[in-house]
Amino acid sequence: MRLLLIAGMLLMLVGIAWALLAAPTEVFQGIPQRIMYIHVPSVITAYVALMVVFVGSALFLWRKDARWDRLAHGAGELAVLFISMTLLSGAIWGKPVWGTWWSWDARLTTTLILWFIYVGYLVVRAWAPGTRGARAAAVIGIVGVLNIPLIHWSAILLRTLHPQPTVFRPEGPALPLSMLAPLVVSIVAYLLVFAALLVVRVRQERALSRLVEALEGA
Amino acid sequence: MAFVAAAYVVVAGLFFAYVLTLAARQRLIAEMADAVIQQKERS
Repeated sequence: MRLLLIAGMLLMLVGIAWALLAAPTEVFQGIPQRIMYIHVPSVITAYVALMVVFVGSALFLWRKDARWDRLAHGAGELAVLFISMTLLSGAIWGKPVWGTWWSWDARLTTTLILWFIYVGYLVVRAWAPGTRGARAAAVIGIVGVLNIPLIHWSAILLRTLHPQPTVFRPEGPALPLSMLAPLVVSIVAYLLVFAALLVVRVRQERALSRLVEALEGA
Repeated sequence: MAFVAAAYVVVAGLFFAYVLTLAARQRLIAEMADAVIQQKERS
């Protein structure tokens, strides 16, 4: 796990240096476009975290095994972190490019709704500990993921300030290799860091549940 | 450039704030484990 975290952090530094110093400046947006190298990895990592929440929650409801619940809980917390990074970096990118920090358009609003759903997920976990709270949170965790296709398609089907997807497109990424390479490095770095933090978080939850069992048995 | 710097600082700040909460939680769990061990030794 430590190795995973160190590798992720080092790769993150490489990605940042590449993005800020070596990647070409985009013609239309200029320097603010370099925010893409933290914005896109944040949202992709958030989606991966939410997939883990979905799988963990579904398996917990099916198998009633607390290990899946601990996995979903840890991933849910990290999903909120990465969605927050996405929203904040997007707002700071929006100001110089669109002239506004925020707009109630489809892509931004559905992403904000996603953030509220998973903050709600964490609130349920905090206020209703135990199996009942875990079951309720698992339902929220599964239903919330249904928002992701809505977010993805909102920029394609509806009129929005947010640009169309440039990386995940059926016809391939729209970026030149000189921009795609540092972006891919950053995405891999974020995913490695996410994996390392998830392992830490799940281990903490396991230690806590063992402590509670020991206290109840004492 | 100020907007780029602000975005990178905000994202790094969020990340390190989360790592700090993980570290604090880890310390709390270690303290709880010590308390449980001491309680078991006493009983």
